[in-house]
Formats: sequence, C-alpha cells, structure tokens
Amino acid sequence: MLKSVIRGALPMLAAATMLAMSSSAPAMAKELRVLAWQGYADDDWVKAFEKETGADVKVVFIGSDDEIWAKIKGSEGKDFDVMAVNTGQLQRYIDAKLVQPIDLSKIPDQKANQLPIFNDLTKVKGVMRDGQLYAVPFCFDSIGIIYNTDEVKTPPTSMDVLWDPQYKGKVLAYDNGEHNFSFTALTQGVQDPFHLTAEQMAAAKEKLLKLKPNVLSFYTTADEATQIYKNNDIALVWANYGQQQVKSLQDAGAHVAYVNPKEGALSWLDTWAVTVGAQDKDLAEQWINFLMSKQIGAQLTERTGFGSTTAPSSNAKPDDKLIYVETVEDPTKRADLWNEIKAAQ
Amino acid sequence: MTAKPIEADRIWRGIALLAAYGLPIFFILLPLCGFLVYSLFWVEGTELHYELTLVNYRRFFTDEIYVPVLRQTVVLCLEVAGLCIAFGYPVAYFLSGLKGRKKYTLLMLLLVPLLMSYIIKMYAIRSILGGNGFLNRSLIALGIIDQPLTFFVFNLNAVLLTLSVLLLPFAILPIFLSLERIPKNLLEASADLGGSNAQSFFRVILPLSLPGVISAATFVFVLAIGDFLTPQMVGGQSGFTFGRIIYSQFGTAFNWPFGSALSVILAAVVIVAILVGARFGGEKAGVHR
Repeated sequence: MLKSVIRGALPMLAAATMLAMSSSAPAMAKELRVLAWQGYADDDWVKAFEKETGADVKVVFIGSDDEIWAKIKGSEGKDFDVMAVNTGQLQRYIDAKLVQPIDLSKIPDQKANQLPIFNDLTKVKGVMRDGQLYAVPFCFDSIGIIYNTDEVKTPPTSMDVLWDPQYKGKVLAYDNGEHNFSFTALTQGVQDPFHLTAEQMAAAKEKLLKLKPNVLSFYTTADEATQIYKNNDIALVWANYGQQQVKSLQDAGAHVAYVNPKEGALSWLDTWAVTVGAQDKDLAEQWINFLMSKQIGAQLTERTGFGSTTAPSSNAKPDDKLIYVETVEDPTKRADLWNEIKAAQ
Repeated sequence: MTAKPIEADRIWRGIALLAAYGLPIFFILLPLCGFLVYSLFWVEGTELHYELTLVNYRRFFTDEIYVPVLRQTVVLCLEVAGLCIAFGYPVAYFLSGLKGRKKYTLLMLLLVPLLMSYIIKMYAIRSILGGNGFLNRSLIALGIIDQPLTFFVFNLNAVLLTLSVLLLPFAILPIFLSLERIPKNLLEASADLGGSNAQSFFRVILPLSLPGVISAATFVFVLAIGDFLTPQMVGGQSGFTFGRIIYSQFGTAFNWPFGSALSVILAAVVIVAILVGARFGGEKAGVHR
C-alpha cells in the first residue's frame, strides 16, 4: 500500500520540480546575491544598481567574520555571488578556493577613482596572489579605544588602560578570540601578533583572564555596544568598529573620544571578492565597479565613519601606527582558548 | 463497483500514515541522526575528515571546561524552572478561579508576549536591567537605594531573571490546564467534610495539579537549556553557558563535528529531563485516578 502511494507521488513530485525549474531559469531577471556588512549595501545604492543593470539584488548582512566563513564555507561559495571580506580573512578563502580571480578590466572605476595608497593594487598587501587579483579594496578603519570623556580625564595612549583597576566593570570588550589575542600580544611587545608562539599565546591568555573582572560584557555588533553604553556606566570600549562606533555613540548623546594605541592599532581593510559559486561573474564585477564611485565613497564615510578608498577621509592621524590584520596561525585554537577564558570563573 | 471506494480509502489512509510518520521522521529523526553521524567525524584546521572517531566525546569528558559548564547550565535551568513555577503557579491559580470571559481574556493577554520577537524582548529587558537601566533608576528615584545595584547587571543572575521572564507563559499554561481539570465537586466534598480553604488547597488542589507543575517545569527546563542568545545578550563576562559553547563551535571555531557531539550530549540531557518529567508526572496523576 505504502509502495503504491510512493509510486503515485514520485511522478507528481518530478513534474512539480520541473515546472518550478522551467519557470525560474530563463524568464527571471538576473540576480545578484550579496553578503555584506551593514553600511556596505545601502538601499539607495542597491536601488540605483538595480535600475542601472536590471538585476535583482538580494543582500544578506552579517555580524562577524566567523559568520561570513560559516556561510561561505558552509555552502562552498554557492549561496552568494559577491562578498565583503577583509584582507586578512581573504587569505583563507583563497587557500580554500572559495573565491575566484577578478578581471580588473571590468572594473575601470578602480583605477579612475581610488586614492593613491590603494590605486596600485600590486602594492596593497593581501589582495593579490600568484599574479591574480582576488579582491578590490572598499574601505578601512582602525580598532582603537573609545573613552568616556566624563570619566577618563587623560586620553589613554595604550590598550593597557583596559586593565586599569579603576575601570572595574566599566569596560566593553569584543567577543572574538582572534582579535583579543592579537591586541593583547601587541601590549606585551610582540612583533607579529598574528603568529604567536606557544609561550606568547599562553602569556596573552594569562593577561586576558585578568581582563575579565574589568569587563561588563563582550559585545558583537556596534548597535549592541551602543545600547549597553546607554544603559550602563561605561568608561572604555574596545572599538572593533572604530569610527562607526564613535558616530553611533555620539548620535546617542554619549561624550566620547577616540584614540589609536601607541603600540599599534589593529586595522582592517575591507574588500569585495567574487565567490567561486557566483552565478553571474560579470554582474558581480559590475557591482564592485558600481561601488567604486567617488560619490558612494563620500556617502560611505559620511554615513558610517569608515575611511573610503575613493574619497578622502580622516580616519587615522598621519603618524598613527596601523597594523593590518592577517590570518592568525590557528583560528580554531584561539577560539577554543577564548572559550576557556570565558568559561573561567 | 464496491472495489473502487475501498481502494481510494486505502490510498487516503496511506497518505495519512505517510504524513503521520513521514513528517517526524524526515524533519526530526533524520536531522537528529545527522547530528549523531557528524559528531563522529573530526576536524583538522578547516578540513573536515569523514572518518568515524570518538575523539569529540573524549574531548568533552576530559577537557576541563565542558563538563563544569554543562553542570552550571543545568543548575541554572533548574533554577529557571523553579522560578517559573513559583511565579507561574499563583498566576495560574488566580486565573482558574476567575469566571467566564474574563478568565480567557486574561489568559490571552498573558500569551501576547509569545507573539513578539525574542530579540525585541531581550533588548527591552536589557534596558530595564542595565546599571543605569529602568529598574535601577526607578529604585533610585523612589529613594530605595542610592547606588545602582549590580547583582542583576550582566551576569548569571541576569540570565536567570531574563530566561524566567521569557519562559513564564510556558509555565502558566500547563498549570492552568491541570487546575481547570480538577472536578469542582471534589472541592465541594472537601468543604462539606469540614476542610478549611488551606486544607482543601494543600490536600486536594495541589496534589491534583502536580502533573501540570511537572510538565511546566519540563517545558521551561528544556526551552531554557537550548537557549544560546540570552546568555550572550545579558550574561556579560560571567554568564557563559553550554549553548554558547555549541554556538561557538559552529561559528568561531568552525568545528561542526565537536559542536554536533556537544549537541548530542545536550539532546541526551533534554531527553532524560523529559523522561523524568513524564514518569514523575504520570505517577502523580495515576495515584488519583
């Protein structure tokens, strides 16, 4: 009896699938699936791009580097066509063959509009490998210290201020093992914070354990940090989102200032990359070219506070030491150690 | 002529059977088995090795953080269940004593929060509980305290409080239903035999509503232990729970097999909780049948 039901159902299912496939493939408009951070694919830009190309753009916003990796690696690049990723993170996508080389001739506005430091892509660390271009820089920022000017009278100069006992329970830190080990190692005078030796790792872990009593909460998004700031007595914020966070806090009425630490500020350079699973590579490159306009660059800086690669901005003082984040020696190890730190009583 | 309707009847019954068994098998049992199988693989760097091994389970039992965090989480969720019963029982009792339309209107109002997004409720609770949040400011304005209290700000207490508030409706409903099912003539009999209100409550109502209390506790415990967002949002630096570890294995650590193994262990805890609840609740109900 069951057999006859299945025998009857199968052809129906097959017919339904075929119907669904035939209606979706050629007749529908081109589709571009974008994986981006908040502020990288604003509605007005998306609408303008859709109008220009006739394509249908679907944007998914992510909250962390790990989420991008989980989404892209989880689908082997098939769920998205174009993605925002920083130069450090990009390396593991190239290693895992999850992104594909970009044809720069399809992106003429890169040469035309990008600022001098980004214009020659062979000189931008991390975007090229074996003579192939894998990503186009879009914007950058540093990870500095945001301090409450009502409470912190002398501007801090080093991340060491986060450990200062007078700020017990008044520090907002970021929930990410990789960065936390890197910046802590920098305060300990380590030269290469992205490739720690076993001893350096252990030393950083010890120091991070001592940070816990000072921390009120570990946040993940800028909005979240602002909400916590508003409802609590916060003196210092480890500003993973840099100027974007300063702006968000100032909009909320907070009295805050921003400084890059003297031992060097971890900085990121975000780029656009095309996945190996891209349905329409030309369309993905059109999207990148579209975002290289000076107008969008200026709007980006105005709206988010990020430094744009096409319009001048003042995101770091000229003599600030910026250290572009790289892939760390063992992300899984750092994640496990970070769990141990969080679980410690 | 007679054969055809029977044939159609059999087909319909087949479809019904397929739906009855097929849905749970495809949408519950198979994904769970998927977890089980995944938990036997292992990861090296970003490479997933499809070889069967027990290394993930060994790591759970030997590593110094996982068992203590699980224990702490179970204790926390038992406390949540306890709090939900303590606050939910009086509410359910009050509701079941009401008459007619008022009763169901109030019940509906209690269930309205379930229609709202979880995240919105969490943000609201966070602005109530913060150091300068609504609760602290109210207490200061009323002159009850002069310094903001910190014992419910970004710690395990905050997680306990938040989970209890969020899950309270799940405690009220089963208790309310079990109270509703107590025949009124039992209470009349108790009164006729000279029982005071307190005696009637402790010797008739409370024992008869215990199955509802047990299922409420089971509901709340199971929902609380699977939660991973609340500890992240209100737990601060000390509110780390088992759900957070599982979450990190799928995100940060990208160790799906280990995450799956931890999920299987959590599922085992949940199944034990449900079995204990079912057995205990069933026995209590059986005594009075």
